[in-house]
Amino acid sequence: MDNHEEVIRADRLDLTFQTNDGPVHALRDVNLTIDKGDFVSFIGPSGCGKTTFLRCIAALETPTGGMLSVNGMTADEARRARAYGYVFQAAGLYPWRTIAGNIRLPLEIMGFSRDEQVRRVNDVLQLVDLEGFGGKYPWQLSGGMQQRASIARALSFDADILLMDEPFGALDEIVRDHLNEQLLALWARTGKTIGFVTHSIPEAVYLSTRIVVMSPRPGRITDVIESPLPRERPLDIRESPEFIEIAHRVREGLRAGHGDV
Amino acid sequence: MQGFAQEFTMAMGLILSGDPELWAIVLLSLRVSLMAVLIAAAIGMPMGAALAVGRFPGRRVAIVLLNALMGLPPVVVGLMVYLMLSRSGPLGVLELLYTPTAMIVAQVVLVTPIIAALTRQTVEMLDAEYAEQLRSLGVSRLASVPTLLWDGRVALLTALLAGFGRAIAEVGAVIMVGGNINHVTRVMTTTIALETSKGNLALALALGTILIGIAIGVTGTVSLLGARNGQQEMRHA
Repeated sequence: MDNHEEVIRADRLDLTFQTNDGPVHALRDVNLTIDKGDFVSFIGPSGCGKTTFLRCIAALETPTGGMLSVNGMTADEARRARAYGYVFQAAGLYPWRTIAGNIRLPLEIMGFSRDEQVRRVNDVLQLVDLEGFGGKYPWQLSGGMQQRASIARALSFDADILLMDEPFGALDEIVRDHLNEQLLALWARTGKTIGFVTHSIPEAVYLSTRIVVMSPRPGRITDVIESPLPRERPLDIRESPEFIEIAHRVREGLRAGHGDV
Repeated sequence: MQGFAQEFTMAMGLILSGDPELWAIVLLSLRVSLMAVLIAAAIGMPMGAALAVGRFPGRRVAIVLLNALMGLPPVVVGLMVYLMLSRSGPLGVLELLYTPTAMIVAQVVLVTPIIAALTRQTVEMLDAEYAEQLRSLGVSRLASVPTLLWDGRVALLTALLAGFGRAIAEVGAVIMVGGNINHVTRVMTTTIALETSKGNLALALALGTILIGIAIGVTGTVSLLGARNGQQEMRHA
């Protein structure tokens, strides 16, 4: 665990939304660094700012205070340099495009050649285990498969950072387990830096190298847990004492954050 | 006056025998209206797209105005174009009055708001779905327009067909600025109006039949395209 290369750095980040009912402190004094190859989960109750923080990293929101750098640039510069792939909460596939057509969208925009587009689409379809489904339309696929296609789209142009906003939130637990396993395998193969928003404790503990526990009003970080689990994790690691201990600590952190409201 | 059945038989005879006068009129109609739609699309689509993704003061007013212009009365457009192109008008020197070009100009004025307004609607709807995705891909607002137009192409084709349907069926404006001159500016609608008043029902009926065929073809295509799109969206939901 030497040779940390810092990819994302937040320094005393603040984001206040002005609403009709007065200012809402979505983020207050958020400090965090994420190193290359980390798998960092953000967990907390609704309103804790976990999605807002991810959106700040993606420059989909603009902080009102503090400093945020991504790949050594400002977040917006990084966005324009296509530093990250973003997986939205809903799969957000376009019904008039085939699965391959949806995955191709970033490649078309970025001006890849036809051959390169075909090659990359096939590569990522394989990566998310959807070979042979490129010609189907989204409605012909199950929810889990749609979400995998959406991940493939975010991977297609091979950005080093993958930002995922509760990508499996709407799926049932069995599908979710399966996708979590696949996501870890994908992470191991690609070595990407992943930011992952979730409200599931087991999911956060199973996936992450670091778990960031957040709490609402104002949205802030209450605990950052370094996972002692090995990078390679079979599903049954979730019954190990280490796993249960981390899950316990996350739950405590969430409870503490809730107590002072 | 002969019976309707007999007139109709003669009308069918004109169509099927490839009567040169009849088909010359049909071709002129198609030429004028297709050209008008082409020009209106070149103006209206960028205008509609700009209104959809742009954010500038007066945008809402512009949209309301555009929607209102969809219902422009053709005779008023005819009058305005007439005044512009008449010998004493500002564009009189071009000597365009009573030419097919004048008819194209009038139809462009009628069709551009239709295409622009429908384009605006389509692009705005797509933008709601695409905006964040495209932003996450580092695409600026302006640069997202080609993607939105391309992905909305089925709906945009519908807008073009709606414009074409309006142009080809319109009579008031083209008769005023075209003058309905035989072999020069006589199109389907103006011929039907004239020949009916002269009692030459066979030619009017023949052209009417073709015009209805075109109208049904256009609206049929529009609703087929719309149904295909709607079906996919419903399954998506």
